[in-house]
Amino acid sequence: MENAIVMKNVCKDFKILNRHEGLKGSIRDLFSRDYKTISAVKDVSLEIARGEIIGYLGPNGAGKSTTIKMMTGVLEPTSGDIMVNGLVPYKERTKNSEHIGVVFGQRSQLWWSLPLIESFRLLRDIYMVPKKDYEEMLELYRSLVDIEPILHKPVRQMSLGQRTLSDILAAFLHNPAIVFLDEPTIGLDVAMKAKIRSLIQGLNAEKNTTVILTTHDMGDVDALCKRIVIIDEGKKIYDNDIEHLKSYFGSYRTLRIRHADDTWEERVIDESKEDVMEVILKKQKEQKIKDIQLQEISTEEVIKKIYENSAASKEAAAGLHVAPAADGETASEKKEGATV
Amino acid sequence: MSDTTMTRPKAKRGFGFYARIYRKILVQDLKSKMSYRADFVISTFGMIMTNLSGFVTFLILFKNFPTINGWDYYHMLFLYGFSLVALTPVQCFFDNNWNLRFQVQSGDFIKYCFRPINVFFYFMSEVFDVKGLGQLAFGIGTLVYAWVHIGIPVTPLVIAKLVLFLLTASLFMIAIMNAAAATCFWIVGSGYVMVIMFRFKDFAKYPSSIFHGIFRILFTFVIPIAFVAYYPSLAILESNNVPVLTWCAPALGVLFFYLSYKFWMLGVSRYDFTGS
Repeated sequence: MENAIVMKNVCKDFKILNRHEGLKGSIRDLFSRDYKTISAVKDVSLEIARGEIIGYLGPNGAGKSTTIKMMTGVLEPTSGDIMVNGLVPYKERTKNSEHIGVVFGQRSQLWWSLPLIESFRLLRDIYMVPKKDYEEMLELYRSLVDIEPILHKPVRQMSLGQRTLSDILAAFLHNPAIVFLDEPTIGLDVAMKAKIRSLIQGLNAEKNTTVILTTHDMGDVDALCKRIVIIDEGKKIYDNDIEHLKSYFGSYRTLRIRHADDTWEERVIDESKEDVMEVILKKQKEQKIKDIQLQEISTEEVIKKIYENSAASKEAAAGLHVAPAADGETASEKKEGATV
Repeated sequence: MSDTTMTRPKAKRGFGFYARIYRKILVQDLKSKMSYRADFVISTFGMIMTNLSGFVTFLILFKNFPTINGWDYYHMLFLYGFSLVALTPVQCFFDNNWNLRFQVQSGDFIKYCFRPINVFFYFMSEVFDVKGLGQLAFGIGTLVYAWVHIGIPVTPLVIAKLVLFLLTASLFMIAIMNAAAATCFWIVGSGYVMVIMFRFKDFAKYPSSIFHGIFRILFTFVIPIAFVAYYPSLAILESNNVPVLTWCAPALGVLFFYLSYKFWMLGVSRYDFTGS
């Protein structure tokens, strides 16, 4: 079994009742069969190898959560095939869940009133983890992060950071083959983010756990992921390693200019369209420049560009207005206007 | 890379497994509840007051009507105590049904679907309501008091029958609440359904022979409130003249519980978890 996850042409549609306004409308809704179909995931194929850490990105509502729910067996795909650890997740949800760990959003899955160590013991029983493996895992945790202060604390008394940390530790406890992490660093301070990133990295390295990470924080992606997959509007629009992502938008540079009043101005420049020196000269004629910096475009900017491109091509397809020619191989050509 | 999770021998998660897990959660939960002493004292006090006020209502009623449909004071008291005891399991073990609709609406419910254990069990095991224990004590006291005054003989057979029919009665109430709670997977206003069903349990304290026509059929076969105390208690009170429905009650109870469980789980599988 070389691949942890294989998805082939997976689609997921939701049927949603067309709601009408007002009291009359709600009464009509009671008997209405007026459904519209929304495609949350459209024809996504994906192969994820064992031990990989994958950044699974996309704007809000792109279909990330739906994909993960299908991988965990909570939702059944409308069409296409999914294999997770060699199992069809929605058919064998219980069996599948033995080999996966999930940290979903900011919802703690631990027993609210119990000290963390008691939650661990319960999970050990639920997953029937042999005592030796359990002790080893706790030892590994101790070596990676300082767990003593939180081990005997009830989850309800923990700070958000401690709770997230606890949830991640709990998700790895039964040594699953795959762990799904949904925005694990959301709302955390810089120090805690760094702690959680190094913990994930350590666990992945030690246990060869496949990690599927969804996040809006490009710091997470830079720190953890070699490969990223981007979906938008339910379609896969990018699937490659992170270095390639930067060369994908290689002609872009971030130009930072320091004005006389010490404020920095930032601009993303497409070198294929305008010359950096010209921009600087033009600026210099307008006002005094104290300093300039030219940087390679950051991951964050690249992702923003990809989202923007995808949105622009969608508008173009819908005939709203003619967008500037989208860069190369994005999904623009493949978009069919009818689905909007 | 060899993977220990893959090669781990497949053990069965049977009744023993679930009983052990439940016991462990229960012990931990009780420990933490005791540590919130004020909360514990207030809720216990509230429970005693609720039961007392119910009891006073009952006494006032009987001051005015010495018999109800041929049932005298002690027989009614027996029925009252019987229903209190029978309602204990739903209160203690299935109280989380009341939180179901909030968790379903907020999307938090999804967390119950990621563990390799039964979703219904996992959900219910999270809450054990201690208040039910006070109700149990109150119910047993009332039952024994009425028992002595009616002069029912105490034999192993009668005790066995009592236990069997108390369990039967509990199953019906649990089934009603499961089904009522599970409506939240389809409709938004399921809170009302639960409150109405929970109010219906008050009818369980009266002999269902006081209901006529459509209500009798309704409370026997559609919303089986009559089985929450009336029919099962007849096995003890009218041991010479037990109606057929009473003998059918244990099997019906299991059936109703099973159906309500299936309905609950159907709700889980139908639920789309769209709230990300």
